[in-house]
Amino acid sequence: MTFDWSVVWQHRDALIAATGTTILLTLATMAIAVPCGIVVAALRLYAWAPVRAIATAYVELFRNLPLILVVYWAFYVLPIMTGLGLSPLATGLAALVLNVTAYNAETFRAGINSIRRGQVEAAMALGMSRMQALRRVVLPQALRRILPVLASTWVSLFKDTSLVSVIAVSELAYVAMQIRAQTFRVLEMLTAMAAIYWLLGYPQAKLVDWMQRRFAVTE
Amino acid sequence: MDFDFSVITDHLSFLGAGIAVTLLLSVLSGVTSLAAGLVVALLRLYGPRWLKPLVILYIDSMRAIPVLVVLVWTFFALPMIAGVTMSPFVAALIGLTVHLAAYAAEIVRAGVESVRPGQSRAALALGMSQTQIVRRIIMPQAIVRMLPAFGSLLSITIKDTAIASVIAVLELMRQSETLAGQSFQPIEVFSFAMLVYFLILFPVTRGVDMFYRRVAHLGRS
Repeated sequence: MTFDWSVVWQHRDALIAATGTTILLTLATMAIAVPCGIVVAALRLYAWAPVRAIATAYVELFRNLPLILVVYWAFYVLPIMTGLGLSPLATGLAALVLNVTAYNAETFRAGINSIRRGQVEAAMALGMSRMQALRRVVLPQALRRILPVLASTWVSLFKDTSLVSVIAVSELAYVAMQIRAQTFRVLEMLTAMAAIYWLLGYPQAKLVDWMQRRFAVTE
Repeated sequence: MDFDFSVITDHLSFLGAGIAVTLLLSVLSGVTSLAAGLVVALLRLYGPRWLKPLVILYIDSMRAIPVLVVLVWTFFALPMIAGVTMSPFVAALIGLTVHLAAYAAEIVRAGVESVRPGQSRAALALGMSQTQIVRRIIMPQAIVRMLPAFGSLLSITIKDTAIASVIAVLELMRQSETLAGQSFQPIEVFSFAMLVYFLILFPVTRGVDMFYRRVAHLGRS
């Protein structure tokens, strides 16, 4: 069997553009899902009981669904429910945001809960308001524990963007598989796709390891 | 908007077959990735020195490459090199195992390393061999501590089996997609699929948590 690796070089422009979309999708999802995650976590922790129950139900539902199903669901159901004609990119972004927000909310909640109650009580005994105690005492400590988790969510998200290829978002996985179908260079294109993901993902995975060591909390 | 859930009841055996494949693939890849992960972790911890960089490269590579890519590569590209043909199910099982074993190996390593080194030294001083120490001192404590992480890995495994739909494994995701396309009732079909996945996954995560709480004391030292 002969392999023709030049096919990868010939399609470099398409692959580079697709890699750009993958990175952009990751960035956009995280940029939306972090503030949304904070809101959902705050609702779960401090809101009125019925709202708290809804926030909990949302988090538990999306943490217990395969992302690929959420992507299909968003693709078929969102246009019918909202009456909007969303582009595949916007649909994929919506599905990723719904998923990652649930994980981020849980990360923030766990981070805030990991700070012992006594600290808030001590801060309030010193005359701080609940808000002040949260901002000055709890959050600075919680952030140290939240950051490494967010970083590993980031890496998972970077990999999970490949799943929106099933609704024809022209990110790396979709474009590589399209070129494969057009050129019949199956092994070359699929290996190139894996190699690009590896080149981008490997340093990120190592960075997460470093952050986990750097921000390790010992009690 | 009208909903007609008769599409679900009419195609219950079609969807049921998908659920069966999802469960079978989850259980099989759960077991194989656990076994493979244990071997990989032991190689990383106690294997020959020259092998360690390779094992670390493998683990970190799997953390860097999406499951979708691993599955597609295993199904379409691997047969071209290896010269064997595989059914989608076998390809999915191999792909998922190769991917998830890396995560399982990291869990095992973290569990083993959480047992204080003083215990191994004490066991050495008592005249135990390395194998005896791993089997009798380290593993009994480490396995209990690994439980919560294995619980979430199991839930990740079940979720990842849905990605096998991309290589045409006829599991629940694939069957739902086919039915949604044929019946033009995506809302009903995908809502049903969501319900089924939730009903499988939620008890699994909760069950492992509850089981861990009952046995957590066995892992303390």
